[in-house]
Amino acid sequence: MGLSEGVAWPWPIAVYLFLAGISGGSLVVALAIRFFKGQTETTPLYKAASLISFVTIALGMLCLVLDLTNPLFFWRILVFYNFTSVMSVGVIALCVYIPLTAVLCLYAFEDEIKSIPALSFLLPIINMLKPVRKPCEVTALILAASVCAYTGFLISALIRFPLINTAVLPALFIASGVSAGAAASKMLSVFLFKEDMHSSELKILHGAEWPIMIAEILFICMIAMSLATGNAGAQSAFEAFTAGVWANLFWIGVVGVGFLGPILLNFATGKTFSHSAKAFYLSGFCAISGMMCLRLFILYAGQTYAI
Amino acid sequence: MSENIERRRFLKGIGAASLILGPMGCTSVKDDNEDANKPHYVMVFDQNKCVGCGECKEACNVANNLPDGKSRMLMEHQSGGVEGQACPHCGKEECNCERKFVRVSCQQCKNAPCVSVCPTGAAHKDPKTGIVTMDASKCAGCKYCIGACPYNARFINEETDVADNCDFCLNSKLSKGELPACVQQCKYDALIFGDANDPTSYVNKLLAVKDSVRMKPQFGTEPSLRYIPVVKLGV
Ligand code: SF4
Ligand code: SF4
Repeated sequence: MGLSEGVAWPWPIAVYLFLAGISGGSLVVALAIRFFKGQTETTPLYKAASLISFVTIALGMLCLVLDLTNPLFFWRILVFYNFTSVMSVGVIALCVYIPLTAVLCLYAFEDEIKSIPALSFLLPIINMLKPVRKPCEVTALILAASVCAYTGFLISALIRFPLINTAVLPALFIASGVSAGAAASKMLSVFLFKEDMHSSELKILHGAEWPIMIAEILFICMIAMSLATGNAGAQSAFEAFTAGVWANLFWIGVVGVGFLGPILLNFATGKTFSHSAKAFYLSGFCAISGMMCLRLFILYAGQTYAI
Repeated sequence: MSENIERRRFLKGIGAASLILGPMGCTSVKDDNEDANKPHYVMVFDQNKCVGCGECKEACNVANNLPDGKSRMLMEHQSGGVEGQACPHCGKEECNCERKFVRVSCQQCKNAPCVSVCPTGAAHKDPKTGIVTMDASKCAGCKYCIGACPYNARFINEETDVADNCDFCLNSKLSKGELPACVQQCKYDALIFGDANDPTSYVNKLLAVKDSVRMKPQFGTEPSLRYIPVVKLGV
């Protein structure tokens, strides 16, 4: 019995966690490949990732603001700070990260902007920013990983909920953010920016997918095991995996669609199909939907089983 | 399955469980080495005296100008019977034989999770009294504090759209030198309020002679609410 009924943080927050994860994840992937391969040109993957990271984080902010009891109070989070609060520290990171994603978009779409006269006012800004491209990208890479982790730290501070209040949650959110971000940016780079589905970059991404997925599965197992073998409170929260609507979401959405989907599409089908565009998009959508289900599951099942 | 129900029941009644186990030495109230010059306001809820009339709730609503029917505290009715089993007193499955009540409200934690997670400092400790209270003009309505409170003791005031908690009527009564509204209202002396750092206060003397317990001590929040539980004697 308590003074508040239902969950304190409903689905818009899950959507926000999802969008922030994709935003951070896609930038991490694109920038890591850029540095790893020492690229200086703007690749289709870079374009896709910077566009995705900017759009998703902007939409995520919208979710966050709309979930406030009164969206007009939003300015208060920006004006008052409390450094013991994960949310407050996250706001500071986002205040740097969001403009940075916009700057990366400017770098990425310089040619496109040049060809549209209405946007010519942006050109002097781009020229001004050009000398600091490298430091901007390094900062963006660090912040992108931090944003993924922050969404995990944000909710793992809720000590009343054993499923949420675990140390591995930020790691799980980084891993799932990166895998969904990679899926989103590779799909967009092929779809919009005419990247070759079998280009060397997408090959690297494709190869990295599986280790990341294994890491995700491992993190989920860690959480489940620590609950199953924990105290009475943890054990009751383990029910999230075995009974009720959230267990269905977990087994169908997270495990079935998110993990088994891509695995079956890639390994259980003939070579012609698994290399086709259909399989490429389907498995990408599976990875992204799986991540959304994971965020929903963690948030709702987590808040359902309170100590 | 029945084991699961039992476990859930146990967890739900964990407050009650600690009330019962407390006096047997599980959760003794330890002395804190805090600044003795500062007040430490505590409230003691005596379960033996509460009859569940609920007038404290109404007094809270009026004193703090809350929306209709809302108050910063609740009374939880706990029946002594076991769910699904006949009551040992009357034989019925559902009854009100044992009238046992627990006050549910902000526990005024010394280590308050709501204060540490609040991004704006709206949920804060009043510097003079140490009471956890709200600065409504800073609250952004993010509900972080509501999820973070281990006691589910916070809520959103539907009229103001900001978070709220029991702050011992800090602004509505204490600042005028009065006792909290619920304490004034209670006809049965079930609520005792005072400064535990004042050696001459009644509450200090009471705590010195009575066994009392804190809720969910495992969270390390060090609540300032103390409960004197009904203890079953005999079988
Ligand atoms: S009981 Fe909840 S609202 Fe009250 S001080 Fe503790 S954490 Fe904050
Ligand atoms: S709802 Fe208000 S008081 Fe609670 S954490 Fe958010 S800003 Fe702080």
